[in-house]
Amino acid sequence: MPDNYFDFTKSILDPSTAGQKSEALKGIRVLDLSRVIYGPVVAKWLGLFGAEIIKVEEPEEGDNWRTGTYWAKYWKDSCPYFQSLNPNKYFIAIDVKLPRGRELILELAKKSDVVVENFRAGLVEAWGIGYTQVSKINPKVIYISCCGYGQYGPLKFFPSWDLIAQSMSGVARLTGFPGRDTYKLQDYYGDFFPGICGAMGVMAALNYRERTGKGQLIDMAQAEALMRTMLNWIYISVTGKDLERTGNVDPSMIPSGIFKTKDSNFVGIAIANDKQFASMLKVMNRGDLVEQEEFADTFKRLQEGTAEIINKAVEEWVACHTLGEILSLAQQNGFPAAEVKNDWQLTNDKWRRERGSVVEFEDDMYGKGIWPGVPVAMEKTPGRIKWLTRPIGYHNRYILKKLLGISEDEIKQLEKERVIGYWANRVGQRPPYYYDMQTDPVFNYSGGTNND
Amino acid sequence: MTEKSEKQLVFSKHLTSKATQNHLAEFDKLLVGMMGNVENKGWVIDDIKVIELSDSSFAGIIAAAILAEFGAEVIKVEPPEGDPARKITPYGININGVGLPFIMESKNKYHITMDLKTDAGRDNLSKLIGQADVVIDATKPGYLDSLGIGYRQLNRSRKDLIYLAISPFGHFTGKAESMFNIPDSDLTAQCESGYPYLTGDPKAPEPYNYPIKAGIWAAWYMSAVLAVAGTLTALFHRRRTGEGQMIDVATNDAISGWQGFQIVWGFTNEMPRVRVGNFDWCLFPYGYYEAKDGYITVAASSDADFRGLIKILKRWDLENDWRFLLDRITDDVDKLRDLEKEFKKEFAKYTRQELVKKTLQYGADGARDKLRSKGFPIVVETRTPAEVLKEKHWKVRKSIAEVEHPQLGRFMVPNSIPKMSESPPRIKWIRFGLGEDNELIYKKYGLK
Repeated sequence: MPDNYFDFTKSILDPSTAGQKSEALKGIRVLDLSRVIYGPVVAKWLGLFGAEIIKVEEPEEGDNWRTGTYWAKYWKDSCPYFQSLNPNKYFIAIDVKLPRGRELILELAKKSDVVVENFRAGLVEAWGIGYTQVSKINPKVIYISCCGYGQYGPLKFFPSWDLIAQSMSGVARLTGFPGRDTYKLQDYYGDFFPGICGAMGVMAALNYRERTGKGQLIDMAQAEALMRTMLNWIYISVTGKDLERTGNVDPSMIPSGIFKTKDSNFVGIAIANDKQFASMLKVMNRGDLVEQEEFADTFKRLQEGTAEIINKAVEEWVACHTLGEILSLAQQNGFPAAEVKNDWQLTNDKWRRERGSVVEFEDDMYGKGIWPGVPVAMEKTPGRIKWLTRPIGYHNRYILKKLLGISEDEIKQLEKERVIGYWANRVGQRPPYYYDMQTDPVFNYSGGTNND
Repeated sequence: MTEKSEKQLVFSKHLTSKATQNHLAEFDKLLVGMMGNVENKGWVIDDIKVIELSDSSFAGIIAAAILAEFGAEVIKVEPPEGDPARKITPYGININGVGLPFIMESKNKYHITMDLKTDAGRDNLSKLIGQADVVIDATKPGYLDSLGIGYRQLNRSRKDLIYLAISPFGHFTGKAESMFNIPDSDLTAQCESGYPYLTGDPKAPEPYNYPIKAGIWAAWYMSAVLAVAGTLTALFHRRRTGEGQMIDVATNDAISGWQGFQIVWGFTNEMPRVRVGNFDWCLFPYGYYEAKDGYITVAASSDADFRGLIKILKRWDLENDWRFLLDRITDDVDKLRDLEKEFKKEFAKYTRQELVKKTLQYGADGARDKLRSKGFPIVVETRTPAEVLKEKHWKVRKSIAEVEHPQLGRFMVPNSIPKMSESPPRIKWIRFGLGEDNELIYKKYGLK
């Protein structure tokens, strides 16, 4: 066994060996009826760790995020954002509004361990594929409904998106400088945070089912997930006042802020405890401050007024040092400091590549790309990307034949009746221009059922 | 319109039929019974014992709290003087020396003290971990290993142990080793995740033009929930195979690793995004504006939604302008500012409630449209937390729990999420005294 701790950890956590290790959720089947971000990432977590994800889309429409890209940016006729949210999934297209379509979805739900949906509250119930209908034919099902405010209560039908949930939860008022513009949490935090909360809920339910054999309904409300992160409720209870936005100061940690360095970079600093504070003052040559009681006592240091004096001193010190100097002093002396990084730095970051949270992945259909990888490293059952997305309906034959034992003739009939379907000839939905579908063995799957 | 029918606005034609309405009324009743009543329900992991060791890092503290809400027996082990996180609190507000975040995340936990600087303390911890299923190590990477109770030592005799490591740069890679002495904070984790870089207005005067951090502990909460999802995944594997493992969460990597758009953007555009004020990078309008009487939030980004909005605002003239019709994206911020100026002018003419009602009614009417071409622009109040507390919906769902504590009296904390019909996470107690459970836990686990 290596002597050095970090050699040991590398030997067990290195993601480059992930392909040879087990998958925690192998054998778990997930029917993913969701679209855009919030629901799809619930299924994404499960898929990263080995579950079989069957994503059902509307023929010739598909997940809205396929065509709703950023800056009209497409990559090989696909939306790169959509690619990043839906790896390792099987893509089938069924029209739920036709009776036979509904039946097919129920047949798939019957054979699934988990169903994920993020339609408006009540819509899946109205279509006959909701929890009450699926649990009748599959009592052990774990059914997660994701919506803005939850499946019951006066606001249940109220519309939601990431930003709307941020507004209805109060979180929208907390970012920005006091007295100036309020800002949203970026890049759809209001979808991704509730999304991982939903995945956590499904994992909890899978554990419970493993112990008891019981399935259940999970009612995941976007706004409630955001409210779970807010200190305001207890703060209001104790002080009678609300917590307002505080710019770059974390009022719980002083000194704290984002400061400009001598070489015009931005550095974040936030001091969590007395030891770190003493280290920081030492490097600043401001040991004098610690001798005064209002600075030495943690709670006094956090009070308004005192906090400003300390932050001012840090601001002036940072302005006289380069980013490199500050980070190396932070490492030597043990206080939290970090560069404010940008997208391009993250994309090229060697550390993230080594961790596996950013991966260069070569896909059979799309070739090489750089993608967000697995956000949590695991020793025995590491997550992994196995394939990217596929055009709408790409796995129709593969799934319907293999799982439901439907014959080629029946599939042709379903196609004719428009119960199942494929992509429209639109960018975001169709295969990459160079790809030959006619010879693709999965798209033209001719095998039979595996009866599991 | 009568008030009753206004309350029941629905926004999909599939929800309007009498039969569906009846079914949904029944479903609602079923849910209130199933979700509203959590007494006597099962617990997800009440067979699991968790030892939490955190040093000034709320990522570990929150992860442990969530596992406790799912029913695990969570024992937080602190040094005799306490985890310094007890003093991390806004403006120094505290109850008997304990800060509000620590109180809020002490849900269902036991608190004991141990002096790991002494042989007796280390023996006790070793003995305690020997009887545990999950160890949360949110201390400095390599610290427990140096005490002889890290994963590589524990794993020799305990193949079923799950070891959850939480730290800024993780417990492996060259960078983790070279930066191991930099402690964790939410703000620095946000910075390393590239998050503040995206927020702010570069045209504002200094320092308001700086990158702006999120006003919640965005990195700590994301890290904590990822850590719990990972732990539950590892527990599921253990239930099937008996095998434990090490899990590694880097708080500096949580937001960027999970949200991932930063990486996608970097891959396709080969440059960083810059701050663009209140614009979104994909959608417009999608942001906060001011109505006559306060902030509103507007989301109307698809072409249909956008058209709906200009119809409601009686600004159909904008539809003729090719610049806005198909191409409302942030690659040309000045163009968007022109359009935004028009919107700002219009929004200022109405009260918040006027805009909310107009758009909701439009959405409900549009839902019945056969061609589904009317769109659904959404305007809501950008609520303050105090306003959120007045919303009846959260009371019906008990989204914010009121708990009782001998020193604090009654106070509010966010309730456990998500709602689950068979084994809901929930709050049993909140207590946070330093070493409060020493006697109980020392006795139960045979510690000295």
